[in-house]
Amino acid sequence: MTFRRGQKVEVYQRSRDESWEPYMNEFVGLHGIITDPDSVINDPDALVEVSLEGRGTHRFPQDCLRPLADVSGPAGA
Amino acid sequence: MPNVPCPVNESITHLRESIDSGRLAHPRRRQIAEEILDLLSDIALGRAGGDHLPAVERLVQELDSENPDEMTRRVVHFLRDTLRENHEVFLSHIETHNCSSGACLRLAPAPCQMTCPAGLDIPTYVTLIGMGRDAEAVDVIRRDCPFPWVCGLVCTRPCEYMCVRGRIDTPISIKSLKGFAAERAMSEGTYRNPPKEPDNGRKVGIIGAGPGGMSAAYYLALKGYEVHVFEKEAVAGGMLLLGIPRYRLPREIIDREVAMLKSLGVRFHFKTMFGEDVDLNTLRTLAFEAFFVAIGAHKSFQLRIPGEENCPQVIEAIDFLRRVALGDRTIPGETAVIVGGGNVAIDAARTCLRLGCRRVTLAYRRTRNEMPADHEEVEQAEEEGVRLLYLTIPVEVEQADGRLQGVRCLRAELVQVKDQNRLYPRPVEGSEFLLEADVVISAIGQRVDMGSLESMKGLAWTRRDTIQTQAATTETALEGVFAAGDAVTGPATVIEAIGGGKRAAEAIHRYLSGIPQPKMPPVPVRRGRIDYLEVPASTKMTLKRPEMPLLNIDRRRTTFQQVELGYTENMAREEARRCLRCDVCLRCGRCVEVCRDKMGVDALQMGYFDFDHPVRTDFRVTEERCVACGACAANCPTGAMKMEDRDGERVLSLCGTVLNRQKLLACEDCGAVLGPACYLDYVRRRTQKVAQVTLSRRLCDACARKTTARYGSEAAPAQKRPSEEKKP
Repeated sequence: MTFRRGQKVEVYQRSRDESWEPYMNEFVGLHGIITDPDSVINDPDALVEVSLEGRGTHRFPQDCLRPLADVSGPAGA
Repeated sequence: MPNVPCPVNESITHLRESIDSGRLAHPRRRQIAEEILDLLSDIALGRAGGDHLPAVERLVQELDSENPDEMTRRVVHFLRDTLRENHEVFLSHIETHNCSSGACLRLAPAPCQMTCPAGLDIPTYVTLIGMGRDAEAVDVIRRDCPFPWVCGLVCTRPCEYMCVRGRIDTPISIKSLKGFAAERAMSEGTYRNPPKEPDNGRKVGIIGAGPGGMSAAYYLALKGYEVHVFEKEAVAGGMLLLGIPRYRLPREIIDREVAMLKSLGVRFHFKTMFGEDVDLNTLRTLAFEAFFVAIGAHKSFQLRIPGEENCPQVIEAIDFLRRVALGDRTIPGETAVIVGGGNVAIDAARTCLRLGCRRVTLAYRRTRNEMPADHEEVEQAEEEGVRLLYLTIPVEVEQADGRLQGVRCLRAELVQVKDQNRLYPRPVEGSEFLLEADVVISAIGQRVDMGSLESMKGLAWTRRDTIQTQAATTETALEGVFAAGDAVTGPATVIEAIGGGKRAAEAIHRYLSGIPQPKMPPVPVRRGRIDYLEVPASTKMTLKRPEMPLLNIDRRRTTFQQVELGYTENMAREEARRCLRCDVCLRCGRCVEVCRDKMGVDALQMGYFDFDHPVRTDFRVTEERCVACGACAANCPTGAMKMEDRDGERVLSLCGTVLNRQKLLACEDCGAVLGPACYLDYVRRRTQKVAQVTLSRRLCDACARKTTARYGSEAAPAQKRPSEEKKP
């Protein structure tokens, strides 16, 4: 999946990536918005910045994310 | 809000249930439990101070020593376990006045604040800007971010993507409001540093004078540390200065904000290469006790195509931007091709135009949809004349007689690869073509220059060649060495680097003070709970996000003058009035439910409450349907919905948005306030089948009783109608 800025996503599972930390287990099941996709080369291995509803902004490996709806962020953002 | 348990809230619920059940029967034990409940409630309401938690622990101990019965023992165990396992969360509630779970309703943070990697209290400073209090707004911002002006121009504004107003129309222009306030405060001389703690005589070394390094330096200096920043360049700014062109972020702005750090006592050592001029051991012998590594990601990836290695006209975007930032205005070539689709590629392309390149083409291997660059930057580049070539894969650099001819490219199509849910560009056979160029600029990404940290033996690296750290604390594998910013995340954003620097400063302070490190990233701090800006519902709905005034296109193509000219004062004040104040309204929906389901009125059309499925919102509908009964306000858990009588009117407002305003009527006999006509009509409609008290006269209860008393006690206060009596 190529994530885009403004896209709604769900943290649907834990990642096996080394960047996944124990505190992130609490985030599984939460919804959020991609605020900074892999900003360079659309690398499936890159960490993407996701803002989770009510839980702050974090960098996640992409294998724990899935899109919620194929819509972009609001106009103007 | 997400349904995540909060230990503070759970403790209150458990204790309240135990008290209410009556099973804590012993008077002394019950009294102690109630005292604990009062203290916990203070924590949940944001009223607690530093003594609260020790007092709770002492009272739990006291409860345990009061010859407890089985019920009391259970309460003591529950409280003791909860306090021990969640000590950090209780402390965070007291220190930040925010509850990240949202369960403590008064402390639920606004989504924008939670989203900001540096935790800026956005609703507070936006409201202050709306009130014209720019200096105070900048004070609020600088509690969490040392560079409001810089961020006001170049932040990637994740907050705006989470802005609840965006579910109605467009998000609040948070970034530009910040820029407006910072510029105004700097211009008026009211831009100031927060109070600094006394010097503690302890030294911290910071490697790199980029946004992350300088952010850590700022917070450590405020805590009284002697901070030394080692920077290999001759100027401070890092990627702010060397990677972001001046037409987006003028150097003067960086210099002014860096000067504020210098005035705090931060010492900069320029042209000092870590690993060559200084290293960890040398600095430790000079009494440095902790280090923060924020070297960024300044090394470029190569294109890895034939011909690239031996061609001097193939250059790296970061090097190119750096040279221009430091004053080199040499035109790189008449025809420039930039390879890449990120912000750096766009910056390189627009810089080429400004240097005088006649044709600038940006070649990207996917489509516009996948392009990671900021869409506003892409649009501005197109306006200025940059040609965007999508689905284009460079395959070879072509030279003739030692001169670059161009880049041989293939057209591509996006295809799905088996077992993967992302689209990959696949070259189209026979689609080869030559993209003519005098210079090719590679902008396909940066990485960390690991070589500069070779002397730090024992530093752990990830498989992405970034420094391995604990995200919550920025600790590295080396004792006393912390790291954040692009060197940890890979190329990321300015605000993330600032947030990382702030987190590192807190972690370094804990490390040097012997305080245990947190397990979770910090919860942002609420800096105030200020009054609302009062805005009529119609204005709230019709105000639009203002268009940013831009420099004229000819000047944009030819000079490095700042493109975004900033909001006018009127634009900024009006834009701030669009804010919904989500720091107070939780969007729990109780008001909507009670209005619709209990009162049967359905006057609140708040479609923006739901994150996943927002529907239409119209504040103006309320005035048409609302009966001013006040049920919504009475059921609002945070006081966001308010109903008050003032100046002869009953006013219903949500966080300052005036939803309904009705003239108050008075009792015809005694003059007491009865309520607005719509409310009295509503009550009459609901009661007319069972009672008819005052016929057509508007009377208060007391006067109505006087009127009906003459009919005798059996008929008062309500006289049943004959038609009602006949019904079974």
